[in-house]
Amino acid sequence: MRTRDVKSDAVKARAQDGKPARRSTKAPKGAARRLDPVDYAVISQALIAIAREMGTKLVRSSYSNIVREAQDASAALFDATGKVVAQAELIPMHLGSMSEIFRACLAAHPPETLQPGDFYINSDPYGGGQHLQDVFIFQPIFHAGRIVAFAGTVAHHLDLGGGNPGLSPDAVDVHAEGIIFPPSVYSYARDWNGGPLERLVAANVRVPAQTIGDFYAQFAANAIGIARVAQLCDKYGVDTVTAAMTELMAYSERRFRAALAEIPDGTYYGEDAVDDDGLSDTPLVVKAAVTKSGDTISVDFAGTCAQVRRNLNCPFASTVSAALSAIKSALTSPDIPFNEGFKLPISVTAPRGSLLNPNYPAPVRARLLPAYRCFNAVLKALSEVVPDKVIAGGNDATHSLALSHLGDNGRYRVYLEIYGGGFGGGPRYDGCDAVDSPLSNCTNTPVEACDMDFDHFRIVEYGLVPDSCGHGRRRGGLGLVRRFEILKDGTNFATYQDRVRLHPYGLFGGTDGERTRTEVIRDGRVIRVKGKDRLDLLKGDVLVLTTAGGGGYGPPAIAEGYLSEAVARRFYGKRKRAAR
Amino acid sequence: MRVGIEVGGTFTDLVAIGRDGIIVTKVPSVPSAPDEGAFDALIASGIPLAAIEELAHGSTVATNAVLERKGARIAFVTTKGFRDILALQRHGRDRIYDLEYRKPVPVVERSASFEVTERVVADGSVVTPLDEAAIERELLPGLAAGGFEAVAVCLLNGYVNPAHERRVRELIASRLPDLHVTLSSDVTREFREYERASTTTLSAYVQPVIDRYLARFSERLGASGFTGHFSVMQSNGGRLPADGMRGSAINALLSGPAAGVMGAVRQAGRSGFRNIVTLDIGGTSTDVCVVTDGRPQLTQDFSLDGLPIRVPLLDINTVGAGGGSIVWIDEGGMLRVGPKSAGANPGPACYGRGGTEPTLTDAHVIRQTVRPEAFLGGRMTIDAAASRRVFEPIARALSMSLEEAADSAVQLANANIVRAIQLISTERGHDPRDYVLVPYGGAGPLHAADVAAELGISTIVVPPSAGIISAYGLIASDFMLFESMTRRAPADDDAATHLTTVFDEMQARASERAAHLGLTGTLQMELTAGMRFVGQAFEVPVTFAADEIARLSSAHIRERFAEAHHRVYFFGGEAEKPIEFVSFRLGVTLPLAELPLLAIDATQKSKPKPIEVFDKRSWRSGVLVARGGLGAKRLPGPALIEDPTSTLLVPGGWTARRDGNHNTILERQK
Repeated sequence: MRTRDVKSDAVKARAQDGKPARRSTKAPKGAARRLDPVDYAVISQALIAIAREMGTKLVRSSYSNIVREAQDASAALFDATGKVVAQAELIPMHLGSMSEIFRACLAAHPPETLQPGDFYINSDPYGGGQHLQDVFIFQPIFHAGRIVAFAGTVAHHLDLGGGNPGLSPDAVDVHAEGIIFPPSVYSYARDWNGGPLERLVAANVRVPAQTIGDFYAQFAANAIGIARVAQLCDKYGVDTVTAAMTELMAYSERRFRAALAEIPDGTYYGEDAVDDDGLSDTPLVVKAAVTKSGDTISVDFAGTCAQVRRNLNCPFASTVSAALSAIKSALTSPDIPFNEGFKLPISVTAPRGSLLNPNYPAPVRARLLPAYRCFNAVLKALSEVVPDKVIAGGNDATHSLALSHLGDNGRYRVYLEIYGGGFGGGPRYDGCDAVDSPLSNCTNTPVEACDMDFDHFRIVEYGLVPDSCGHGRRRGGLGLVRRFEILKDGTNFATYQDRVRLHPYGLFGGTDGERTRTEVIRDGRVIRVKGKDRLDLLKGDVLVLTTAGGGGYGPPAIAEGYLSEAVARRFYGKRKRAAR
Repeated sequence: MRVGIEVGGTFTDLVAIGRDGIIVTKVPSVPSAPDEGAFDALIASGIPLAAIEELAHGSTVATNAVLERKGARIAFVTTKGFRDILALQRHGRDRIYDLEYRKPVPVVERSASFEVTERVVADGSVVTPLDEAAIERELLPGLAAGGFEAVAVCLLNGYVNPAHERRVRELIASRLPDLHVTLSSDVTREFREYERASTTTLSAYVQPVIDRYLARFSERLGASGFTGHFSVMQSNGGRLPADGMRGSAINALLSGPAAGVMGAVRQAGRSGFRNIVTLDIGGTSTDVCVVTDGRPQLTQDFSLDGLPIRVPLLDINTVGAGGGSIVWIDEGGMLRVGPKSAGANPGPACYGRGGTEPTLTDAHVIRQTVRPEAFLGGRMTIDAAASRRVFEPIARALSMSLEEAADSAVQLANANIVRAIQLISTERGHDPRDYVLVPYGGAGPLHAADVAAELGISTIVVPPSAGIISAYGLIASDFMLFESMTRRAPADDDAATHLTTVFDEMQARASERAAHLGLTGTLQMELTAGMRFVGQAFEVPVTFAADEIARLSSAHIRERFAEAHHRVYFFGGEAEKPIEFVSFRLGVTLPLAELPLLAIDATQKSKPKPIEVFDKRSWRSGVLVARGGLGAKRLPGPALIEDPTSTLLVPGGWTARRDGNHNTILERQK
C-alpha cells in the first residue's frame, strides 16, 4: 500500500520543537520585531480583503447559473512559492487544496519562465486537481520585474463537454467526463482573448457563451487581485508585504496549534459510507483514524474501500480538502483565517487505489459524495474526544441535478443545480434547515431566474419537508423539496445523490434523519429514480426531489426518562408533529 | 424656525436654526420611548412649539423593531408551492466553517405563511389564473383568525405583472378592511423572489410600528401647539412628509446614519466640496459613505440582521470601531480592536462606571488626545488612571510602553476604518484621492487625519458642531422618493427609444405620487438603469440625467455602460457582446428652497495652551485651542482643537484653518 503525505514536514517541525505550543498569547519575538504590528494588521487585512473582492467580483460578473447564482467559485492569493495566504470564503471544498493544485503547475513550468500576462491553468484530477469541472487559473503578480505573489481563481464550469450535458453519470473514465486542462501555462493575449485556446475550449463545450463568459470572469477577478497587490507593494514595499504574508500564515498556524494543544492526545476512529456506486448495492465504506499528538493532527483513511467503476472516486486533493474542512470546522474558532499556515500541523494519508486516492483513469465527477463521508468519518472520530464541538450526520451531500435540452435551433440549454438539506443537530442548537451541506456553499438559483432563463421546465414547488429530521435533545435540520414540471419532450435529466439508501446518522442517542428520494410522476404513475441515474423526460412529467433531514444530537427528552410516553404525547405530542 | 431632532442610542440631538440664531441641545435618549427623548430635547431647548415652521425627525424606531423583533404580527401570502421561501432563503451560509450555523430569522412565523393558487411567468403572462374562490374559502378565514396587523403579499413574478397581487389586496380589503396590506410590487420591482419577499415582509413588519409612532408624535405635537410641517428621514438620504411614511415604512429603516451623511454633504458643499467621503465615529461603530458630485452613492444590495432589503438606500458601510470598542489580544498574539464594545454603559474604563476592559477612548486618554478636563465640553469627568490601569495587560503582551500600546490600538482602529472606506470606494471604482474627508460624530475628527493620510486624501473638512451633524442633516436634506421597475430589453439599436419610453412612464407615476404627498415645486429627476451583458445576473447601475435622456444615442448608452462595467470589474468594453437593460430606478428630488446654515460659536475662545500628545510612536509637543479661537491663519500641527461636541486632532504635517463657511479645513503639507 502506497500512501501520500500532504505535509509530512509539519510533523518533523514539531518533533524538533519538542513541546506543545502553549506559548500562544504572545507573537514570537522575531516576527514582531521585524514587522510593525500596525503595518502587519493593515497589510494582512488588505490581503484578506483583496481575496474577498476577487471572489465577489468573479461571482457578480459571471454568466452561468452555477457561478452567478449558486456561487460555485472561489478565489485566493498565494505567495511567490505557491502557499495560500488569503482566500475568499466561498466553497470550503475548493479551498483546502488550492496550493496543491497550484504546485502541480509550478512543477510543470517553473515560475522563472513566466512573463507578465501568462497564466497557469489546471483541472486535471490526476494532476493535483479535483473534478475537471473545477478549472483553476493562476496568474503571477509582478513588481519591479519579479514575481511577488500569485492571484488564483476557480469556478465550477457548467459544461465542459463529456458524454452528457452538464453531468455524465454513466462515464466509465475521466475522459468521458469532459476536457481536461493538464497543469500548463499559456499567454492570455496570445492564447485566450479570441486566441487558439479560447476557440478550442469553445468548440468542445455545449454552452460556449456561458462557459467562455465564466472564464473571462475568472481572468477579470485575477486582474483585480494583481492590481491590488501591486498597489500594496507600491505603498509598503515588497519586503514588508512579503513579511506580512509570512506572518499571516504563521499567525494562523500559531492559533491552530494552540487550539490543538487543548485536546487530549490519542487516536480516534470514525466511519461512514456512500450508499453505493450506482452499479451494485454495496455501500462504499470510508474509514478514518484521527491521531492527535501534541500540537499536530493526522488523518489516515486506511481501510477505506477500493476505487469504483463509476464517478464516485475522490481524487486525493478532494480527500485532503474534506479532511481539512472537518478539522477546521470542529476544532478552531471561525476567526482564524484559513491559509497555508493552518495546514502545517495537519497530515492526511489515503491508500493508493482506494476510493479516496484513485488511480487514473477512474471517473471522479461525483467526488463530493465520498468527500462528505471523509468529513463525516473525521467528525465521528472527533466526537469521541470533543463531543461538544461536533454535530450529528446531516444531509451531507450535494445532490446534483441537471436538466438539459437541445432546442430546434441546435442550441443547448443546461440547468445544473446542487441541493443541500438538513444539517445534523449540534450540542447547542437544532440543525440548520434546508441549506447547502458543510463542504459546499452554493446558493440556490431563484425560481424567478429559472423562469427567465429556461423554457424546458418550470419549478412549481420549493419548500421545507416537515418531519424529515431526526430527533434528540437538538433535532436535525429539515430537508427540502423541489418539484419541477417538465415543459418539453426530450428533456435530459441526469443526477447523482446520496443518503438515498443510508440515513443521516443521529449522535449520542439522537435518532436518524430521513433519506433523500427522487421520483418522476408520469401519467399518474410514479417512477423511482436511483441515487445515480439518467432519464429522458417527457412534457407533462413532474420530477420531485426530496433531500435528507439531519440526525438528532443527544437523546430526546422523553428517552432521558423524565416523562412517561403517555404524558409526553399528551403535552408535547402536538408540538412534535407540527413543522415548527 | 426649522428644527431637526435625531434620536440615537445614547443621546437625542436637537438643532434649531432660525432668524435669531442656532440652538444646539443634547439630552439622554429614552430607549423605551424615543419620542420622550425627542420631547425632552424640545423642552430643554426652550423653543416654543408654535414658533416651529418645520420639524424634521429621525429615529431608530424602525431599525430597532427589526433588531429586537418587536414589529407587528404579520402574515405572508405567496404563490402555491412556495410558502417556505422566507425560511429557505438562498441556501448558502455566510460562515462556511460553522457547524452550528443558524440562518437569519425571518419576521414571519412559518405558521403565518399562506398560499394562493396562481402563476405568472417571466414575461408577465398568466399560466394559472388566480383562484379567487379558494382565497374566499381558505385565505381570508385564515387571515381573520390569525389576529394579524398587516399582511405582506409577494407572488412569483409579481414584479413584472402585479395584477394578481393587486387583486389579492382587493379581496382582503373587501373582507378585512382594517388589515394593512403591503404588496411586493409596490415596495420593490426587482426579480429574485426571496429578496423581494424579505423586503416586503420587513416593510409590512415595521409599518404598523411606524404608523403608531408617528401618529402619537403628531398628536402630541398638535396638542402642544405645533402647526408647522412634520417630516421624517428615510434611508435614501431624503425626507418624506410624515404622512408619506404610510405605505413605505421600509424606507424608515437605517435612516439615522443617512441624516448624518446629508448633513456632511450640505455643510461641506457650502465650501464647494462635492466629492466627499463621510466618516462618522460614534460610541460603538463607524459609518462611512462615498459622495460623488454632491450625491451620496446608493446601494440596492443591503441586509439588516441578515435579512435582505432591496430598496435604494445610502451605501453606508459600518465597521465595529468606536470610542467604546474593546482593545484585546487574541490567542494568536494579535492586537485587535472591536467589534465588541463597552457601549454607553459601563462604557470605557475612564468613565468610572465600572468598565474594566480597555477601549479606544481609554487609548486616547493615555495618548492625551482626549483631555480629561474638556471631554464633551467638560460635562463628563474622566479617570485617566483607570485608562492606564486597564491598558497594562495589553502593553505587557506586546512588550511595549503603555503609550505605544495605546497608540498601536488607535492606528489599528484607523486601519479597520480605512478598509471600510476602501470597500465602498476603491472596490466600487472610485479613487479616494479624488475626495475630501468629512469627519463628524464624537470621535470622527480625532481619527480623520490618520485615516485620510492612509487613503491618500490631503484635505479634511470638519463641520461646525461635528458631534450633532446628524440632527442638522435632517433639516438640511431634500424631499426624495424613488420608483423602481424591472423591464428587460436588449440595449441594441433601439436602446435610446426604450430608455425614453421607460422614463416617460416612470416619470408620470412618480409625479402622481409626489403630488399625492403634497410635494409641489420643480421636481428633479434622474434615471438609473441596471444594465449587464446578456447572460450575466448582476446589473451595473448607469445613471442618466433627465435632461439628457432625449438626446442620447444608443451607441452613447452602450459606451456609458461599458465604462461603468470596466470601472468595477476590470473588463467589459467588448463591442460585439450584447448588452441588456434589466431594471430601472427613478430618483425624484424636491430640493430645499433655502439651506439652513450652521455656524461656529465664536464665543468659545481660550488661550492656546501648550500640550503633549503621543502620536505615532512618540511624544510630540503641540498646542490646544478652542474651536471658536481658530482663525483663517493656518495653525500647524500637532494641535488639538476642541468644541463642546467633539475634539479635532491635527497631527504634525497637517495645518488647520477656519474657512468663510464655518468649516475647519485641515490640509496635508506636501
